[in-house]
Amino acid sequence: MKQPAGIPTFFKNLVEEPLNAMVEKAQDSGQRAIGYTCSYVPRPLLDVEGIFGVRLRAPGVSGTPMADTYLSNVICSLTRSIMELALEGAYSNLGGWVFASSCDHMRRLYDNLDYLEPLDFVHILDVPHKRGEAATAWMKEELEMLAEKLAEHFGVDTGRGALAISIKEHNRLLAILRGLDRLRRRDAPPLSGTQYQMLMMAATSSPRNLVIEPLESLYKELENSSDGIDDYRARLLLAGSNCDDPGYIRVIESTGGLVVGDRTCTGSIPALKPVSEEGDPLEVLASHSLDNISCPRMMEEFGARAQEILEAVKLTRADGVVLETMKFCDTWGVEASPLVSVLREQGIPVLRLEREYAMSSEGQLQTRVQAFLESMGR
Amino acid sequence: MPKFFGGCDLGSTTGKAVIVNERGEVVSSALIRSKIDPTETGREVLGLACRQVDGLGEIKDLAYLVGTGYGRNEVPFANENVSEITCHAVGAHHTDPAVRTIVDIGGQDIKAIAVSDEGSVLEFAMNDKCAAGTGRFYEAVVRTFDLSLDEFSELSLKAKKVVPVTSQCTVFAESELVSLLYKRHPPADIAAGVQLSVAKRVFTLARRVGIRPKLVVTGGCSKNKGLLKALNKVLRMEIEPLSFDPQMMGALGAAVIGWKKR
Repeated sequence: MKQPAGIPTFFKNLVEEPLNAMVEKAQDSGQRAIGYTCSYVPRPLLDVEGIFGVRLRAPGVSGTPMADTYLSNVICSLTRSIMELALEGAYSNLGGWVFASSCDHMRRLYDNLDYLEPLDFVHILDVPHKRGEAATAWMKEELEMLAEKLAEHFGVDTGRGALAISIKEHNRLLAILRGLDRLRRRDAPPLSGTQYQMLMMAATSSPRNLVIEPLESLYKELENSSDGIDDYRARLLLAGSNCDDPGYIRVIESTGGLVVGDRTCTGSIPALKPVSEEGDPLEVLASHSLDNISCPRMMEEFGARAQEILEAVKLTRADGVVLETMKFCDTWGVEASPLVSVLREQGIPVLRLEREYAMSSEGQLQTRVQAFLESMGR
Repeated sequence: MPKFFGGCDLGSTTGKAVIVNERGEVVSSALIRSKIDPTETGREVLGLACRQVDGLGEIKDLAYLVGTGYGRNEVPFANENVSEITCHAVGAHHTDPAVRTIVDIGGQDIKAIAVSDEGSVLEFAMNDKCAAGTGRFYEAVVRTFDLSLDEFSELSLKAKKVVPVTSQCTVFAESELVSLLYKRHPPADIAAGVQLSVAKRVFTLARRVGIRPKLVVTGGCSKNKGLLKALNKVLRMEIEPLSFDPQMMGALGAAVIGWKKR
C-alpha cells in the first residue's frame, strides 16, 4: 500500500520542526506563542488576539542524555524528549509554557522546566481526576486563574467576548478535523492514517489563524475527490497514548494495514465535538474538557472508555485494533491490559505495542504489524 | 514437469532456503552466513538449494517463492513475503501438527508464538530492540570464553552449580563475565549462568502468550543444548525435538505457504 499523493508538502514541513515556520511567521508579526503539553489545556483560551497556543512535540529528537540526568528511569520518553529539546533551546522562542497536571510525568516536566528553562510565563492547571459539578466548578476556577494571568502578563483580552470569538474559530477548526476524520471511514479513503495524523499535528502545532484556511481548502478538495486508497489489506483502529509522529503510523501502514480511525491522545480523544457557543465561555470550556476528553487519567471510567473504542471500531469498520502505549506511561499501562481483554472478548483482534517516543527499530515494528495482519487472515 | 516451492528466510545472521515438492516434502535446503547485501544472500542461498534438486534449474523456475525474515522484501523472484512469525508457526505445524507453542531464538530476536490447532498464529510476543539473549548475545559471550558456540554449549552442560549472571544487556554481560572469570569461578558454572539468564528472559515472553504443549524451540539458538536444558527447567515443560532442522523452520514455513497455494 502506497501513501497517496495529494497532501501538500506545506503540511509535511509543519510537523518536522519543534516550532515550525508558521510559528515563526506569527511571532514575527508580534504574536506570542504559548507552548502546551496536554489536551486538558483548552486551546481557545490560548488563541486570543496577541497570543496563540502550540502543542509541544519533539520531532527529530535523537536520544535524551541531558533530560535523563534530571528525570528518573521510569519517566516516559515523551516527557524526556520534550525536556531534551527544551534543554537544547528548541523552544526558547516561546513566550510561555502552560502545563496540565494530567499525570506525574507531565508534573515532573513542569517542575524541571520551571527550574531549568524558565520562560517569562509558566503556569500549570490543576485538573481534577473526576467529573461532576464540583469538578467542573474547580476546573472553571483553574481556567479563570489562567485567563487572568494571561491577560495580565501578555496584555491580551481574555474576557467573555474575546473567548466567545476564539471558541467560534476553534469550532471551525474542529469541524474541519472531524470532516477529515470522517473521510477516513470511506471504503476507499482519500487520505491515509499517516496523512491524517500529519494534518492533525499541523493543526495543533501551528498558529490557528494561519493553518485554518489551508486545512479547509484541502478538506474540500479531499471531500470531493473520487480517488481513494483501495489496495489495503486491513482496516485498523489506532488506540493509545501520545502518537504525534506520523512516521510511526507510516511504518504500520507500510505493511498494508490502513489506519482508518483512532482513539489516541493526539487524535480523537481530545474531543473533536464542537464547544458550546452559549453560556459563560470559561464554564463551557471547563465542562467541555472534563466531559469530553476521554483520557485514562480519569478515575472510574474504564467501562465508558472501552465502550468508546468499541463504538469507534464499529463506526470505522476496523478489522482490528493496534494499541500503542508509551513505555513507562503508567496511565495507559494500567488501561491497556484490561482493554485488550475487553476487545478480545468482543472478538476484536488486538495488537499491543509498547514504544518509545522517538521512532526506532522500524523493522521489528513492521514484523509485528505484518504478523498481526497475517494472524487475522489478511 | 514436477513443481517445486521455495521458502527463503533472510535473517540478521544467516540466510536459509528450503524447497518442497508437490507433496510438501522437503527436497533440499541450504544455509549461509548473511552478506551485507540481502538480495545477494537470497540469490546465493536459493541457488545452492535449487542446484540440489534434479529437474529444477534456477530460482525463477520455482512454482512459488515466499520470502521471510528481516530481508523478506529483498528475496529475488519472490512472489510474496510473509512475516517470520507466521512462517515459523506454519513450518513447525507442518513438521509436527501437535505443536502449540514455539520459542524462536534467532540472531537478533526472541519470539514466543502461540499456535492454533490449524497452525495459525494465535498470539505472539517479541523482545524489544535490545539483543539480550539472542544469537548476537551468544556471539559476544563465546568471544569472552574464547570458544565456539558448540564448545560453549557443551561446557555449560558440565556445570556443577550455576553462577548467576545478572546483566541482561549484551555489553554489560560481557564485562560481568570477564569479572566472574577473573574471580576464578569455574567457566562451566558461569556458562550455565548465562544459559539460565537467557532462559529467564524467554520465560517472560513465553508466559505472555501462554505455554502449552507441545513446546518447540526454533531458530539458530535451538542448536544450543545448554540453553535447551535451562529452558526445560525454567518453562517446566519438555522441549520436543522437531524432525526437521529447527533453524530452517522459517524457510520451511515460507515454502509450505507457497505449496498450500498450489
